[in-house]
Amino acid sequence: MKQIQDIAKDRDLLLGLAKSDGKSLEIIYSDNFPVVLRMILQHNGTEDDAKDVFQEAIIILYEKACKGDFTLTSRLKTFLYSVCRHLWLKKLQSNHGLYALPTELEEIIPAEDIVDDHEAKDEQFRIMEKAMDSLGQPCKTILEDYYLHKHSMQEIADKFGYTSSENAKNQKYKCLMRLKKMFFDKYNTSL
Amino acid sequence: MKEDMFLISEIERYLEGEMTVQEKAAFDELRRTNPQINRQVEEHQLLIQELDHLGKRKDLQAQMDRIHQQLDMPAIRTTVQEATQASKRARIRRRTIANLAAAACIALVTSISTIAIIQNSSRNKSTAQYEDVRRVLNNIQRSQNALINDIKDKNKAPLNPGTYGGTGFAVSGNGYIVTNLHVVAGADSIYVQNTKGDAYKAVSVFEDISSDLAVLKIADSTFKSQPLPYALKPQSITLGEEVFTMGYPRDEIVYGKGYISAKTGFNGDTTAYQVSIPVNPGNSGGPLLDAKGDIVGIITGKQTTSDGIAFAVKSAHLKRLLDEMPKDKQSKKEWAHKSKLEGMNRVDQIKKVEEFVYLVKVYN
Repeated sequence: MKQIQDIAKDRDLLLGLAKSDGKSLEIIYSDNFPVVLRMILQHNGTEDDAKDVFQEAIIILYEKACKGDFTLTSRLKTFLYSVCRHLWLKKLQSNHGLYALPTELEEIIPAEDIVDDHEAKDEQFRIMEKAMDSLGQPCKTILEDYYLHKHSMQEIADKFGYTSSENAKNQKYKCLMRLKKMFFDKYNTSL
Repeated sequence: MKEDMFLISEIERYLEGEMTVQEKAAFDELRRTNPQINRQVEEHQLLIQELDHLGKRKDLQAQMDRIHQQLDMPAIRTTVQEATQASKRARIRRRTIANLAAAACIALVTSISTIAIIQNSSRNKSTAQYEDVRRVLNNIQRSQNALINDIKDKNKAPLNPGTYGGTGFAVSGNGYIVTNLHVVAGADSIYVQNTKGDAYKAVSVFEDISSDLAVLKIADSTFKSQPLPYALKPQSITLGEEVFTMGYPRDEIVYGKGYISAKTGFNGDTTAYQVSIPVNPGNSGGPLLDAKGDIVGIITGKQTTSDGIAFAVKSAHLKRLLDEMPKDKQSKKEWAHKSKLEGMNRVDQIKKVEEFVYLVKVYN
């Protein structure tokens, strides 16, 4: 009964996370980080490792939550712990070759599929990230301001000293075209 | 270039829904007819989507970093450390339990195998006992030899030091005496001596290895024949029947009383009885009589490993032996009479019998 209540509570948190509700994220983060930290520290990891792994797990969770077709079947804690454990195991294995994590007291669910799934999808993201990084200034900022921060063209024109919003818009299109080229060059070769 | 720019702005307007209904319809038419433009639109869509994704991810990352910074790390560290220690303790406890379980398993296996080994060896022991018994058989042979009492220091004995003694008893009035073969085996000369101290020279006239019996004949002119007081009972007698014997474990005749304790002799030897009776070296060849004074067996040996277990050759074999003897050497009539000892008390029986029980002295 308690478990079901817990899962229901966790589902609410997950809905909040999907809506980018900072409060939910904060609760999830502070509730689950210590357990993961402990697990990583026990297995030759540092606090920074724990942070990286945990944040990656949160990203996985976030993306799953955003997609909407994800239903939480275990407790959020179990999900995050399992994903983190698997991520860390993969990292250890890539560094040290064969490495088996000893079984733990904590309940775990199989997380291989979740992690592998995520990695495949993450490819696109990394291509985009790289493309954006190599775009250079001011293109990167213009695009970020317009598409991510949803600034108006006028604000951008003011910020970058363009004489008119029309000029800024043209600049933005140029940047977008470059980004598009870079992105699809990589994207098509990687697929 | 200009056209590309125009196209992008058009696509953007199209995707963001800034077009009028007519423009949108025209663009839709364009998408349908021109696959290249359609692809451009889709690519643009994907690009914007990925860009959005990136933005969200960056947002999330930033948010998480902020939260991470707000975390009370020292407090978390202490709790984590405590938890680690607790789990370590738990792991140690688990390991201890595992070790204990392993130890218990080993103990179990050990005890089971010990039991198995003990049982096995006890089973072996019975065969070992059997073998032992066979060895004991040798021992018995030895002890039977030992039963031939060493009487070399006997003053009456001739000078030859290699002297052994046993017991024999008369099987006929005219000087035939039965004793054990092992008593007289390898003898140079044999003397028999009765309770009165009269010694006669005797010769072995018939021997049977299988029943370990020998018939001696007193070859002395001074010997006077006497009728036998006892009879031979060739039938097998019942278990538990009271028997007595007389013999010369020492220079004096010794009476011993016991009972039939088994119908077979040593190691299941069917030619003999097991008799619970005190016998000692020197009793070999002594008569075994039942309460009526019938000869039922001849004492041959005893088991060295346990006390009070003696073996006696069954009288049937004695009868067979006597039957097989050449006719000229033995008159069977001697046995035809009934025992004269029947109904007498033991003391009188002994008095009658002792005259016919001889100390057999062997010189070699």
